[in-house]
Amino acid sequence: MNTEVPAENLLARIARQDVDALSELYDRYAPRIYGLMLRIFSSREAAELVLREVFTRLWSESARLSQGGGSVVAWLVVTARDRAVEQLRAQRAIPPGVESPKSDDDHTERTGAVARKSKGLVVSAAVKAIAGKPEARKPGAAKAGPAVLMDQLPFTWLPQPKEISFLDERLVLLHKVIAQLPKSQREALELAVFGGLSESEIAVETGEPLGKVQRSLRAAITFVKHRRRAVCGTWAANI
Amino acid sequence: MGCQHLEELYELWLLGALSEKGSLDLREHLRRGCAQCLGRLREAAETVYVLGLTPKPARPHPRVKAELLRSISRKPVLNR
Repeated sequence: MNTEVPAENLLARIARQDVDALSELYDRYAPRIYGLMLRIFSSREAAELVLREVFTRLWSESARLSQGGGSVVAWLVVTARDRAVEQLRAQRAIPPGVESPKSDDDHTERTGAVARKSKGLVVSAAVKAIAGKPEARKPGAAKAGPAVLMDQLPFTWLPQPKEISFLDERLVLLHKVIAQLPKSQREALELAVFGGLSESEIAVETGEPLGKVQRSLRAAITFVKHRRRAVCGTWAANI
Repeated sequence: MGCQHLEELYELWLLGALSEKGSLDLREHLRRGCAQCLGRLREAAETVYVLGLTPKPARPHPRVKAELLRSISRKPVLNR
């Protein structure tokens, strides 16, 4: 029998400024978020920074979030990823020739970069050059994605806690499903999810025509979405 | 205008991968509070959740938690 306090109960306590509740929620979910951050960033320091930032934001917004009734962990994952790729995009918007604050001698940085290269996530100079164009450096350009609008929606976009706990019980299976994607589709999807690249940036990065990238990405998303529905809807799904 | 044509765009929009042209319609529907779009967005968030958790969990250094708890003790919860 699961005696774990529901995350949403902890959130309600956090909204009443209960630090112990935040501490418990952090212990429960920080490893998931940190694992995601390490996949996005090649620097441990950057990963830790966003991890801390997203839990700080959870603290500040707990009252509003608690009223919405959505899943806390879904909010943490979507918000942390959004914030992390926003930072990646901002880094790419740095004009070519300007050094990044991190040193190339940093061992963690290098090992991280190698690890990411093996997953096809090192962003080429061509993509950096696109992002470095003046229009890409306009204020807010790095947030051209959904972040701004999502902040305005009253958390009605969040899945319900019971939907997420249902997914949690099937995550291993769903991840096996994702691993079945054809290589080109999986790579395009990873560049979007963990590299924060748009369809056109992925086309530049992979050297593939934009139309082909769009078809690959949509096919990958449709595959995952349909399989998720099948896994959650019926165990008879042939996967 | 209906939103059937947006069916396959919600996940990409949520990931920030959609071109500006493709995302205009979707944003407009969401701004108008389109219930169907919000429902699909909720479903897209589930897919993004599953994708975001493909990396293995990793335990952060205890220092990060200590810094977090120290910093929030100075930050109020916003009541909105």
